[in-house]
Amino acid sequence: MADVIKVTSGSQAVLSLGNTAPLAVPGAANTMVVPLMQDITVNATPGTVRYSTLDNTASSAFTTTNENSISLNMLVDETTFFGGGDALNSVANVGLLSTSIAKTEIFFSVAFEGTDSTDYYVSGKGFIGGLAPSASMDQAVWISPMEIIVNGELTKTQV
Amino acid sequence: MSKRTDLIGKITTNLSGHANISISSELPFVQGGSPLYSTNMNTVYVDEQQIDVEELYDTLDGISVNQTTTTINAYLATDAKEQFNDIETVVANLLVARNVITGTVENTSNYETDIADDVITYTFEYNFITV
Repeated sequence: MADVIKVTSGSQAVLSLGNTAPLAVPGAANTMVVPLMQDITVNATPGTVRYSTLDNTASSAFTTTNENSISLNMLVDETTFFGGGDALNSVANVGLLSTSIAKTEIFFSVAFEGTDSTDYYVSGKGFIGGLAPSASMDQAVWISPMEIIVNGELTKTQV
Repeated sequence: MSKRTDLIGKITTNLSGHANISISSELPFVQGGSPLYSTNMNTVYVDEQQIDVEELYDTLDGISVNQTTTTINAYLATDAKEQFNDIETVVANLLVARNVITGTVENTSNYETDIADDVITYTFEYNFITV
């Protein structure tokens, strides 16, 4: 029986950020939850190199290092983007933009099933990039993409 | 104040130079089988505002950003045989009254006409979109 993870409840797909790993655990006190996400993608991609040999009609491949990233699109939330004065979480304190400008390494988690006990999430550390907020009268609100360039491996964990 | 009230106020101001045309704050209800704007020609009547709310953006945390469209119709009936010389100015002043509503992402106005016997009825439609 397939066990599809639904996101329709509004509390399943959650991106949490913190300046330490414990602060980035889904549901942790003082974690910074990025609100108003329209979509989020976890890119877990092993690097590969292809090569061909004279005795084979198809190319071969071997793997190199993993290149992981998190990408998303969001409506811009003022507190999240510019900071909200949270003394216990520097990412929440200065906001996404300043953290990106300062190239500060952050810890993150992407919850797939919410923040309840035994719910799965993927975590790691990396750098915020790809912010490109845009506005127009047609879209009426500020919208921005964002990327977390993962430094190292992604880790699968349960809450 | 409602957008209808603001619109009536602006139309009143814009038409203040046209002595032959007045504006009523009454709704254009039907009396004796005819709407008031047909009975009281050369009087602008502004209908009740209609509001339509639709989802503009949906997010993974269940927060929706909605778009609200407020539609208001206004009516003016006048003599089709002997129109006012400045009827184009009157129409222009009625159309531009849309600008009184602020805080919107889009204001539009347009009109259409209908002629029955010797009466021409201008029906104006104003749309105000907020997010």
